[in-house]
Amino acid sequence: MTQQTPSPAGAIQFRNASITYPNGAIGMKNLDLQIEPGEFVVIVGSSGAGKSTLLRAVNGLNALTEGTVAIDGETVATHSSRDLRRMRKRIGMIFQDFRLVKRLSVMSNVLIGRLAHVPGWRAMLNLWPLPDREIAIDALMRVGITDKAWVKASQLSGGQQQRVGIARALAQQPSIILADEPVASLDPVTTHQIMKDLVRINRELGITTLVNLHFLDLAREYGDRLIGLRFGELVFDGSAKTVTDEDFRNIYGRDFTESDLLEDSA
Amino acid sequence: MRLAPRPRKNLLFWLGVIVFLLSMSLWSARGIGFSLTELVCNLTDGSRLLRESWPPDLAFLARLVDPMLETVFIAVVGTVVGGIFAIPVAVLAARNLTPNRLTWFADRNFMNILRTLPDLFWAMLFATAVGFGPVAGALALTVFTVAVISKLYSESLESIDMGLPEAIRAVGGSWLQMIQFGALPQALQHYVSYALYAFELNIRASVVLGLVGAGGIGMILETQRANFEYERVTMIILAVLVAVLMIEEVSESIRKRLT
Repeated sequence: MTQQTPSPAGAIQFRNASITYPNGAIGMKNLDLQIEPGEFVVIVGSSGAGKSTLLRAVNGLNALTEGTVAIDGETVATHSSRDLRRMRKRIGMIFQDFRLVKRLSVMSNVLIGRLAHVPGWRAMLNLWPLPDREIAIDALMRVGITDKAWVKASQLSGGQQQRVGIARALAQQPSIILADEPVASLDPVTTHQIMKDLVRINRELGITTLVNLHFLDLAREYGDRLIGLRFGELVFDGSAKTVTDEDFRNIYGRDFTESDLLEDSA
Repeated sequence: MRLAPRPRKNLLFWLGVIVFLLSMSLWSARGIGFSLTELVCNLTDGSRLLRESWPPDLAFLARLVDPMLETVFIAVVGTVVGGIFAIPVAVLAARNLTPNRLTWFADRNFMNILRTLPDLFWAMLFATAVGFGPVAGALALTVFTVAVISKLYSESLESIDMGLPEAIRAVGGSWLQMIQFGALPQALQHYVSYALYAFELNIRASVVLGLVGAGGIGMILETQRANFEYERVTMIILAVLVAVLMIEEVSESIRKRLT
């Protein structure tokens, strides 16, 4: 296994950050939040509470309308696309719906994580430099699907596709990984495997990891630090291991039910 | 359970439609001097023409091979070159991918102009530029192909799932990379299908362009017709028919397999 180059720290800092959407909806409200390098943070909240908004603000997919968000002290640009691309280079993102190029091989999909790291013409002509290909293979090894390298992405199961998604993020050699409901379209068994992968990668490589989850038991089981959002506001910030049912009730603004738990709803 | 009373059909409205269509047809027929009596009386002339056109001059077939190939080559060049140029034109005209409204607006209008002007116009234009012959024909069909594919393809591109392009953005990809890896692969099947369709149109258009001097089998057809060599004309028409049918059959079977 080739050595991953040590990533830069990966600290995230929100300062008085707000996002109001053009339709008037509030995605984030006066958020002050400091996330240290290497932390594994789980974000919970009912749908529409601003979980995705928070993740997407980190890599600038959603621009703040007020305040700032900074990574290792550098403010995430809202206008300069060049600066934004340079920062995104080191921020991996994992999606609920995987978002792979279905007609391309697993390997090609993982190499997409190298897009911003190689000269444009090389990516365009599919002439990836050897070191980059090795980084991609290394990423595939870390999620244990090297045997699928030449299989078309469309032929994989959901869990395998999400592993490709993780490998693509790893190929970026990121300092931060943002996982937006990474297990929401997976079955319970695969869900646990993917969550374990994310935790293991966080431990092995020290990549700051933010995961949106809507199952409370998963949040408890896998989270270190837990952040609760409600109507775009931070309403809980503490340890995922000691969070109480009362805290969850407060985050969700209601009693939680079986549908909030993976094991019972499955 | 009883249904509500069935709504009455608006008879008056449909009667109006029929009267309108009939009167439009009659008016148009008068306008172009169309008359049934004349058509019937001249049928005998037509049958004389048919008699002179039969049997087809089979010996002439050997001399049709090269012009026929030229017709196909004109269509191939037009389809390939036009197919390539159609991609950027389509991307810039897709609302979800275009970099800004001004580009979108300009490209939309460009596309509309291409589509409005007929292929014969382009053939004339290029003939004045590069002289009559197959090159002018291929250039005309290039423009024609861009017009056909870009419109259809831009609509396919507008209906793709924007999640993947966003994912390409999220890894730090540029606009061009977003297009190449996020957008184009999603509509690739459609693109191939449209290109094959354009090729079918181009084969037929290539024959017609030959009539106005753009080379190929159409040009031979025109000279033989002008010399009243009707048995040869029949042979040419049969050859074109067979070639076009064959090409369309192959193209259609590929397109079916794609979707």
